[in-house]
Amino acid sequence: MFQKSPTEMQNEVEHKIYSEDTVETVVGPSVHVEGDFSSEGNILVKGSVAGSVQTSKLLTVEEGAKITANVRAENAIISGEIQGNVRISEKLELTLSARVTGDISCKVLAVEAGALVYGKIIMKGLEDASSKKKLPLKKRSLDKSDMSEELENA
Amino acid sequence: MYVYLYDSFLRKKKFDSTMKLVETRLTDFGIAGKIIRLQQYTNAFQIIEEEIKRGATTVVIVGNDETFGHVLSRAALCDTVFGFIPVGPENSIAEVLGISVGAGACEVLAKRRKLLLDVGWFNNRYFISRLHIPPADITVQYDDKFSVSGRDSNPMELVVCNLQPFVWEKAKKFKEVAVHPQDGKLEAFIRPVLGKKIIRYIYDDPSIFPFQEMVVSSKKPFIVEADGKSSKETKITIRLAKNRLNMVVGKDRSF
Repeated sequence: MFQKSPTEMQNEVEHKIYSEDTVETVVGPSVHVEGDFSSEGNILVKGSVAGSVQTSKLLTVEEGAKITANVRAENAIISGEIQGNVRISEKLELTLSARVTGDISCKVLAVEAGALVYGKIIMKGLEDASSKKKLPLKKRSLDKSDMSEELENA
Repeated sequence: MYVYLYDSFLRKKKFDSTMKLVETRLTDFGIAGKIIRLQQYTNAFQIIEEEIKRGATTVVIVGNDETFGHVLSRAALCDTVFGFIPVGPENSIAEVLGISVGAGACEVLAKRRKLLLDVGWFNNRYFISRLHIPPADITVQYDDKFSVSGRDSNPMELVVCNLQPFVWEKAKKFKEVAVHPQDGKLEAFIRPVLGKKIIRYIYDDPSIFPFQEMVVSSKKPFIVEADGKSSKETKITIRLAKNRLNMVVGKDRSF
């Protein structure tokens, strides 16, 4: 008779999840932020940001939000517009409404059909592989230099 | 030695029985002490400083949220342990501190579970629970790094929370945020005004910014309400005073 409705229960669960986490930084839909915007916690952008955005956790850019800045984060979910370079150390998710004008650097990339990107995409896994291939060349050059040193000493 | 600061509203007859019960419990626990009755214009800082010189080790505020704010806005600097016995209605801070209203608070006080709490500071005074700026044409600058303004230069409402979680009125979608007094940062909630109905403002979704220092400025004077006291300012600097307040708290505190 006095059972909670599913929506009430969902709200309670959401509240618990939210309160257990650290307080998020939220940029509201009709707010404009200008300058070096950095946070140690999660950032949720619904409005507009100009300057630079940096967080050591998750960055979420909602649909309708606009960032005119270089972005750095650990993980990111983009549904809005970004004009600037995006540097993500772990996973970047671009949803269908995402618009990115700038270079992207990340470890894992997930792109939904409809997302638009204009810029270079650099993924860290391949970068490491290419550097590994170059190693023997470096070794060879080192060996040569060692040889020449030995010759000079003789 | 314990010193008890009673708010003036406790003289009302309806609080007689509660106060008798509180005093009996304090005597039972062996922590009864000197009682000082506060008046509207009493400077709590001077009274507490004098009592500390006379040997007071614990100062206990007896009253509601307003009494708590009134005493600690000036006296948070005093080098003593503070306790709180909430009596009557409007006691939301007590819940956060894990102190039950009425005689139950005496047990918490007797256990002396002490914690150093962060407090907010603005223009030479402290605020414990929250600071509120009603809608005004303000510009906010955080930690000298970035500034926040309303789109189309709309007026904004600002609330800075320390002890209490703040829930926006009539914002059903907004989830309650637990603001911990020991997290090393204050939380600022900003709501731009979208329009105005006959009596009420229509607000947009709030923005939340944790910060350590913030400057709020405006060309026109704006109202600042801190712990129930209001003043008019054109520029204020809000800072976090870390681990400033030595307070006796309950086991069921919300942080």
